[in-house]
Amino acid sequence: MLGAFSSEWIKLRRRSMLVWGLGGGLFFAVLATIFTIERAVRTFNPFVERHGIRVTFAVLEAPDGLVHGVVDVSTLIGIVSLCLFAGAFATEYSQGTMRNLLVREPRRMQLLSGKFLALAAFIGVAVVLEIVASCAVALLLAPGRGITTSAWTSSTGINDLFQATLHVFLASVGYGMLGAALGVLLRSPGVAIGAAVAYVVPVEAIIVGAIWSNGDRWLPGQLLSALAHGGTSDSSYHHSLVTLGVYMVLIAAGTLAVFRRRDA
Amino acid sequence: MTSSVVTRGLTKRFGTRLAVNAVDIELPAGVVSGFVGPNGAGKTTTIQLLLGLCRPTSGSAEVLGRPISDPASYLGRVGALIEAPSFYPTLSGRRNLEVLTRLGRIDRARIAEVLALVELSDRANDFVRGYSLGMKQRLGVAAALLPNPELCILDEPTNGLDPAGIREMRAVIRGLADNGISVFVSSHLLAEIEAVCDHLVMIDDGRIVFQGGVGKLIAAQESDIVATPEHPADAQALADLCVGAGRPALVEGVDVHVQAPQEWAAELNRLAMGAGITLRGLAVRRASLEQAFFAITEAAQAEDG
Repeated sequence: MLGAFSSEWIKLRRRSMLVWGLGGGLFFAVLATIFTIERAVRTFNPFVERHGIRVTFAVLEAPDGLVHGVVDVSTLIGIVSLCLFAGAFATEYSQGTMRNLLVREPRRMQLLSGKFLALAAFIGVAVVLEIVASCAVALLLAPGRGITTSAWTSSTGINDLFQATLHVFLASVGYGMLGAALGVLLRSPGVAIGAAVAYVVPVEAIIVGAIWSNGDRWLPGQLLSALAHGGTSDSSYHHSLVTLGVYMVLIAAGTLAVFRRRDA
Repeated sequence: MTSSVVTRGLTKRFGTRLAVNAVDIELPAGVVSGFVGPNGAGKTTTIQLLLGLCRPTSGSAEVLGRPISDPASYLGRVGALIEAPSFYPTLSGRRNLEVLTRLGRIDRARIAEVLALVELSDRANDFVRGYSLGMKQRLGVAAALLPNPELCILDEPTNGLDPAGIREMRAVIRGLADNGISVFVSSHLLAEIEAVCDHLVMIDDGRIVFQGGVGKLIAAQESDIVATPEHPADAQALADLCVGAGRPALVEGVDVHVQAPQEWAAELNRLAMGAGITLRGLAVRRASLEQAFFAITEAAQAEDG
């Protein structure tokens, strides 16, 4: 598995991976932080402001306000992760390199696991960089808007920062697992990414909005969003974590079974 | 002599199509074995079975004495180039090989050695997307040689190479065998196989139609004996004499072509002398592998009905 992990890192250091894998998430994180702080209002007026679009100074001045922007776009960061994983697995099939890999590492479980862990580690680095960039931007812009930042650097604030980083990372790896599974099953990067994004964004929204209102407690995309936010009123953090844990084990087992049985 | 590859009734079916049909192969170790057959005959599928890339529908096989059901037990000693060489286009040739050395826990020093062997050292740091097909093919051979293999399986290694590249590839393949490495090389270019192989496996429509030494196969084929009478008017009479002796003969211009073992040239000379025909030329053209291949496959098809 170490060999698969190590060899995957060579591919992850490609410029295209750095631009799209790291740059994509960084772009969303920084942009969200700028918008959150610049559009924050001192008092919330429900007759003027549509709920959810703007936050109040009070929300941002709380200990967890530092990462409010980046957590709000965790779904977009997750989709970047999903595309990265789906592309990394499906491209091995579409460009014919999977056969080379299987000749050098015929133990398919080790190959799949090592590759997945390398991608997860890459996402870990990406999430940390996104949080660091988001914090830097927030600390730079907040004083200019008169937002008090003392709670951000308190012990509670630092704890919230680490927790938010962990939540966004776990959710991103979860999105990545969905992408990896579709990449292995569909073997075409375009089809796998298209199917994954279509499911997570419009399909789940339609299901929850029009068919199954309780779906936000059980559908994987909704649970990943709740996990990234550290739990929501619809789905607690613990419920999201445990349910996703079960889903991920089932998805990993199914993907591995297909990968081991199928001709390369 | 030990065998590098042994298969027994190896069969692979894709849906209703029988790609490999009860194949029995035995490849001697330490020699270059050719694997020939037309496109779609089952060469690549057989190679994929030997490399653990697909599972047999039935039958069994051993590679370097280990069963193909446990590819991890032998693939560390096997190098392979499968179909068209596939690499990461936005990585350099060297980085592509590094992916494989790390994955297979192979000494990184081998990268420089194999790049030098296939004469790609000076372009090793360029992106593979800028390589010609021939360069990719050479990089594929370099990748196959990375683990310092005991058995090297090369699927169509001369595809895309220019004549000079083909000659170099022959030298590389012969060099491997000279160093005691067993080579199993597939091609649909029979002249290539004839030039480089000691042992031959012929496959057609998923079935093995011949296996054995190349020289033995060609010697068993009837040669083309070309006799040229001193007087062109005697050509038809000479052809009739040959037909009368039970050998097919054909007049082409001033030459008489006779299908017969090469030893029959002496008999032909005696027949001509006996009939008062003086020959000004008598040549034996050895059967080529291509002629042998078509003779064998046509005979197999005739047997099938």
